[in-house]
Amino acid sequence: MTDINKHEEQKRFRAEATSLWKITFGPLVWAVHFVATYGLTALTCAKGWPLDPLRIGVGVGTVLALAGILWLGWGAWAQWDTLRDREWENDAPTDEDRHQFLGHAAFLLSIISFIGVVYVALPILLFGSCQ
Amino acid sequence: MTEKLHMPAPEGPYPPTEEMLSVPVPHEEQERGKAELRAAWKTPTGWRYWSAVNNTEVGVWYTLTAFGFMLLAGLLALAMRVQLAFPGMEFLDADRFNQFFTMHGSAMMFLFAVPMFEAISILLLPAFVGSRDMPFPRLSAYGYWCFLIGGIFVMGSLLFDAGPKAGWFMYPPLATKDEGIGPDVWLLGLSFIEVASIAAAVELIVGALKCRPPGMRVNLMPLYAWYVLVVGGMILFAFPPLIAGDFLFELERSFDWPFFDPTRGGDPMLWQHLFWIFGHPEVYIVFLPSIAVAAMIVPTVAQRPMVGYSWIVLSAVGTGFLSFGLWVHHMFTTGLPQISLGFFSAASEAVVIPTGIQLFAFVATLMVGRVKMSLPMLWIAGALAIFVAGGLTGVMLAIVPFNWQVHDTYFIVAHLHYTIFGGMVFPVIAGVYYFYPFFAKKLLSERLGRWSFWLIFSGFNITFLPMHMTGLQGMPRRVFTYPEDSGWALLNLVSTVGAFIIAAGFAVFLYDLLRSKKHQGQIPRNPWGAGTLEFSHDVPEESWGVRSIPYIRSRYPLWQQDKIVERMDAGRFYLPDAPDHQRETIVTSVIDAKPLYVQPITGPAWICMLAAVFTGGAFIFPTFHIYTPAIVCAAFAIVCVCYWLWTATARPPRSNMRDAGLGLRLPTYASGPNTVGWWAMWITMLGDSTAFASLVFGFFFYWTARPDFPPAGAEHAIGLWVALAALLLVVSWAATLTAREVNHRGHVNAARLALCVAIAAALGGAGAAYLAVADLDPTSHVYPAILWALMVWLVVHVGAGVIMQGYCLAGSLAGKLTPLYDADLHNVALFWHFIGLKALVTAAVLGLVPGWLT
Amino acid sequence: MQNIWLSDGMGQGRRQHNWKSHAALTGILLLAGCGSGRQSVLNPAGDDALMLFDLARVMFIGALILWLLVAALFIYVTRIAPREFSRCSAERLIVGGGVIFPVLLLGALLIYSLPLMSSQREADDGLEVQITAEQWWWRVNYVLPNGDTITSANELRLPVGARTGLRLNAHRVIHSFWVPALGGKTDMIPGRETFMSLKPETPGIYRGQCAEFCGASHALMAFEVVAMEPEAFAAWLAAEAADAVPPQTPLARKGAGVFAREGCGGCHTVRGTDAQGQVGPDLTHVGSRVSLGAGILPDGVEDFANWIAHTEDLKPEVAMPTYDYLSDGDLTALATYLEGLE
Repeated sequence: MTDINKHEEQKRFRAEATSLWKITFGPLVWAVHFVATYGLTALTCAKGWPLDPLRIGVGVGTVLALAGILWLGWGAWAQWDTLRDREWENDAPTDEDRHQFLGHAAFLLSIISFIGVVYVALPILLFGSCQ
Repeated sequence: MTEKLHMPAPEGPYPPTEEMLSVPVPHEEQERGKAELRAAWKTPTGWRYWSAVNNTEVGVWYTLTAFGFMLLAGLLALAMRVQLAFPGMEFLDADRFNQFFTMHGSAMMFLFAVPMFEAISILLLPAFVGSRDMPFPRLSAYGYWCFLIGGIFVMGSLLFDAGPKAGWFMYPPLATKDEGIGPDVWLLGLSFIEVASIAAAVELIVGALKCRPPGMRVNLMPLYAWYVLVVGGMILFAFPPLIAGDFLFELERSFDWPFFDPTRGGDPMLWQHLFWIFGHPEVYIVFLPSIAVAAMIVPTVAQRPMVGYSWIVLSAVGTGFLSFGLWVHHMFTTGLPQISLGFFSAASEAVVIPTGIQLFAFVATLMVGRVKMSLPMLWIAGALAIFVAGGLTGVMLAIVPFNWQVHDTYFIVAHLHYTIFGGMVFPVIAGVYYFYPFFAKKLLSERLGRWSFWLIFSGFNITFLPMHMTGLQGMPRRVFTYPEDSGWALLNLVSTVGAFIIAAGFAVFLYDLLRSKKHQGQIPRNPWGAGTLEFSHDVPEESWGVRSIPYIRSRYPLWQQDKIVERMDAGRFYLPDAPDHQRETIVTSVIDAKPLYVQPITGPAWICMLAAVFTGGAFIFPTFHIYTPAIVCAAFAIVCVCYWLWTATARPPRSNMRDAGLGLRLPTYASGPNTVGWWAMWITMLGDSTAFASLVFGFFFYWTARPDFPPAGAEHAIGLWVALAALLLVVSWAATLTAREVNHRGHVNAARLALCVAIAAALGGAGAAYLAVADLDPTSHVYPAILWALMVWLVVHVGAGVIMQGYCLAGSLAGKLTPLYDADLHNVALFWHFIGLKALVTAAVLGLVPGWLT
Repeated sequence: MQNIWLSDGMGQGRRQHNWKSHAALTGILLLAGCGSGRQSVLNPAGDDALMLFDLARVMFIGALILWLLVAALFIYVTRIAPREFSRCSAERLIVGGGVIFPVLLLGALLIYSLPLMSSQREADDGLEVQITAEQWWWRVNYVLPNGDTITSANELRLPVGARTGLRLNAHRVIHSFWVPALGGKTDMIPGRETFMSLKPETPGIYRGQCAEFCGASHALMAFEVVAMEPEAFAAWLAAEAADAVPPQTPLARKGAGVFAREGCGGCHTVRGTDAQGQVGPDLTHVGSRVSLGAGILPDGVEDFANWIAHTEDLKPEVAMPTYDYLSDGDLTALATYLEGLE
């Protein structure tokens, strides 16, 4: 029996105030990449600007986005920590399982986000003009 | 500096140990708790019944009303099918047909699909998470009455042959140039309902985040709660662009501000963007909750926990995000640049992946379990067959060149009905069969259920499978007739026959639902052997929600926690009584669901119905271009809402602590980020800011889309007034924050003074914002019109902010708001953070951006 | 080769050509079996439509296979082998079926299909047609390289084997231009010009229809597309450029009188006469068109009479008034006059 104001596991698996947001960081990178890509393209095509700067810009943006997602995914993988404990259900009522579950969800979301960014970058490679 | 005043912190042991839980509760304790709870949660009887606000009552009304609207919209579809049965039929004339298809789509979307999610969630979410009620029951009731009034108004317009007839997408210029009141009915009636939907979404998010039982950490939440979070979030970001669009649209309809009129610099494409930024996520807003129902049924059928819980969470969150990157696939034929179309094509394919994961997780769960084909599972199986077909045609439609051929043909009609029947109607009916014992305490008939399933399933395929072909043979959508030599006649006749088979299936279902079940006797408490908390319900019914709020240690507590139902019944867990005869529930922390405080919950009241009636008036009168009564109604609605907040929320409690059971003592009042009210404000303002961002997007959209924006030599907003408005509103914001801080430190008079300053500055700021654009003529061109629109949006929000500041001032004077009990002031300060930000952005767009662009 | 019809055709004899083209049209109509399938994606007759037809076939077969696989899997785990599989195989199913397989398949589909988009946006081979959608009919202007325009309405003629550019506009509300047998559709939006191009491969008469809901008579806004051999097209275009034939018979001359008396020229143009109205369709060569009333009636004398006397019945909310007060004699004369405008 412990008092409600004491947290025995607090040091290792802090009650992450932001971690529900943290699982959305991967998709958020996708969203920012998507909006920026679409916005730049719409602007370039509407204003009749040359396409090459757009390609370079989107290319750099895509590389950055993918790198960001990889970094997030790596962190989430570490947080999930499945190789150490071979446990992927994370359904125990402990801080540790909650911590690892959020890592798992964030890891899976970064996979989806990675695929999303790659898909969205395809058209810029495949098309030569706005037309 | 004076010391800040604080409410006492929770005290006592937590989490409870097995020894604590195994101590029996004395019999007289049990009886006392029951009697108190019964008194507190008593549902009003007789005519007073309609003042009830409890989620179990409101949820049932909501569900039945949404179902009723679905049946009406279905009847419209039958009438259309009769008209299309043969070429050149004269059953409906063109005008009526156009009203019918417009209302069929609008009602199915706005009066059935989205409200149905909210209805079911209001009804079930508290039970899933072992909470007594939704956090804001009167808000649910208000939302319900708004929905009912708005729905009757919009559907009723058909009886007067005045229904909207420009399609459920209301594309301008067709809809803006319509001379009848149809578009106004649509815009105002549905905006009214959208506002109610957002209110419900806010409440559901708060319910899922803050009202979970102690111990139900995020990794243990029932999957439904995850979906509620995702879908609530989606509503918050998807509906506001439509509301912003409605706002511009109605300004054009009522005051001739040319937002969508190309002859004066407007652009009809802006509406399409705003509509589909709403419209596509909407599809998933409809789909995800129904999948959530399936996610509750499948583990029960398999008698195993869901395989891949994290995968489902991933797919819900992932779908929620990706669904915002698809909207242009409704606009592939509008001549946008190929590259842009490519992005949306790619994103539309990407969203298939999380959706597929979802379905495979269900199949995987069925694999590891030993499946017993119950009636709900039969409907889920039907849903799967239909939805997969709809999903595959969706993959095709995301391919741009193919889309160019079949867009706006019957192929689309087939595709969308496959996704919506498979992704929504079938799972919802499965849910009705599955949860019927929970909310009606009776069982539906197995035999009638199978009849109804096979009728609807076969009727559905007879109706919609041929439509793929009809579309490929070139039949466009939304045509009231077609020529004899088109070759479409036989396919259409088959579809019509199928439609009547579907109708027969629904008739069987409806009969089963409504027939008297008095002879049935008492049903088992957990007839399906489910593992989640809702089936710990009391049979026969008790209106207290749960007898005591359990401590949760697992995802399927009824399977995985010994004796949990016994202990809940005995009142072993939290809040087993109600000594003050006050409705209460426990508010817990977001991530780990640690008990924070006990939240009093509002009880039955007429005021929410009255507020809904006046709100209805404020929206309905302008339809007929009658503005004075509308303004009066709006004022009364505000008074009603203030009255209800004043009398029932954030009132100083009788004592600061409450014995919550199991030795835990919890505070009975809280303010700031721990509270449900603060979260509700924060979430609402996220949505509101999305609407504002949509308006700002409109400004930049005109700049990219039109060469004459801003037009050469145009008059601009007056810089001095713009700057003054920004300055005064920031001062008001700062003064509100100051009021919160000094009040917290006990300087009540200084706080009152700061609030007075804040009110004066806000009014001055609003005046300055008006003067900044007062000389521009908004009917002359879209540039002055959008500046005006931004100003109006800002001033309306400042108006709301002033009312809130006044409310706090009055609270302080009346002793409702004190240095210790200051939740209202925290929430109002939060509101003003957003106003401050909005004021700065508006000032930048009005005063600075035009200079950069020209 | 693409410009021969534009210059050479101008001087050819008008009557002879008109007779020939009419005979050809009738033959094609008969061959097409009373029009069944003339508006079908499944009877492709243009470059773009053929390509899309192939794409559609590939996707349909793929979709059918996938649907059967999912259904089979479901039936297998619930009915045929309702035993308890291991968690590991279940997880593998999610990863394999839910992630790896769709990612590869959809990626391949995107890479295959995205480049197919371009053809319908390619530039024209020399002929451009401006089409403006009205409620509920089509203004059609053939733009010659020298900038001259030839005005027609409610019918589009295209040479086979060449790509013709279509500049699409709309007057009041949004419409969509679609000829399923030739290619995909493109919306027509007030205040924004859109562009597409079509390349018919097989001569014939195809039906097009407005695909974006555009008000009461959206269902009744169609048109005929006549794909012709380049020489025939050149001859036709030359004829279309000419002024209207004067009425030849007494009845037709009486009809011309009725036309003038009723003020039809206030809305309609008949080039070479006083009728110069711009509100309604150009009628200079209305008698040579395949259909009447934007693709809703054939083009005989009785159809003209029927249309003029029953506009509101035939096309609800149409702008043209109903001339049901004309005597039968006047109506027949007017119809004869119009039908003679070849």
